[in-house]
Amino acid sequence: MQRLPVSYLKPGMKTYEEVYDAQGRVLCGKGVELTEEMIKRFSELGVSYVTVDGTPVKLPWEKTLEEELQELEKRFEGIRDENLLQIKEIIKELLYEKHKASSP
Amino acid sequence: MIIDPSEKRKEVKKKLRKLEGLPTLPPIVQRLNQMIEDERTSLNQIAELIEKDQVITTKVLRLANSAFYGFPRKVSTVHQAMMLLGINVLKILIMTSSIFEIIHKEDVGLWEHSIGVAACSKIISEKIEFKDAQEIATAGLLHDLGRVIIKVSFKEEYQKITELISQKVDPLSAEKEILGIDHAKIGAFLMRQWNLPERLIEAVASHHNLENTKKYRQEASILHLSDVLVHARGYGKTLYDGVPPLDARALKYLNLGLPEIKEILFTLEPRLYELRFFTEELKKEIAGDNG
Repeated sequence: MQRLPVSYLKPGMKTYEEVYDAQGRVLCGKGVELTEEMIKRFSELGVSYVTVDGTPVKLPWEKTLEEELQELEKRFEGIRDENLLQIKEIIKELLYEKHKASSP
Repeated sequence: MIIDPSEKRKEVKKKLRKLEGLPTLPPIVQRLNQMIEDERTSLNQIAELIEKDQVITTKVLRLANSAFYGFPRKVSTVHQAMMLLGINVLKILIMTSSIFEIIHKEDVGLWEHSIGVAACSKIISEKIEFKDAQEIATAGLLHDLGRVIIKVSFKEEYQKITELISQKVDPLSAEKEILGIDHAKIGAFLMRQWNLPERLIEAVASHHNLENTKKYRQEASILHLSDVLVHARGYGKTLYDGVPPLDARALKYLNLGLPEIKEILFTLEPRLYELRFFTEELKKEIAGDNG
């Protein structure tokens, strides 16, 4: 699954979960293939993000889990503060979870 | 040659006081200040003034709609933004959008860091049920204002500071050595010149020195903790390559333990994900302007 701003949506992408408007009304169910009209309607109704199936868009700034972990190690190099080390563990956990959720 | 830090500090402050070579605020800010002070002015009149300026209106609405405030619905008018954010926040957004326009052309990393800290400050404020979470978010946006000023208005000194940092001097000491004053104090100094609320000024002034706080210890602690967490997560880029030191007192003052920190980081993550799209959009626009 991938969460995308409405401007990134293309017809043919499939919803991963329901799409709601600002008032919490369901605009579209899950597993529905998007059409041009639906996307237009989302943007008119002020929907900002829609979660779709798979990872149809390659986002140049997104990193792999390995890259993320490597950079994390580098940022924490030489740090011995107990609180910071625990924060590091939390971030590690977060990264694992994030990448587990986004892999197909 | 040995620089006398206190002499240098005087020189820096003099330059700041005269606003020599500093980024200029749009004239609308001056006008807004007058209107806010004048009790007869209605919110509608203020909204009208802002709406007359299309460029400012666009910028303000864009910031208001970016993920760091996390409003569930789109903010589409200045009036709405004013109702949701309050006039102080709106004023700061107008200032910030102008100041940061300069910086995100030169230093996207610092801009990203700042909006990350704004988002995190908002989350922490809500977590501890602090009043005026929006205002604290805005302080987050401005917390490194001094760095922007150093980079834009004290170019030679900035060079020397980065040289010292490359020799492993920590950034705060490097700033103090070269300028006699650090970026937190410079930012606060300028915020005072701009008549921003004392609460925000003290928070920014003390975000690296919690012992300097008088009245607003929690505000400063929120900025300090957000700054560390955003660095730890690796969002944006500042003079710190690694994670800066965490003052454990911040956790005590905010009454937060590691389980809460975990919740904060897990709430922050999707916000940062959304903010990335926002920043990319700005980058594209800048590239378009230059091309």
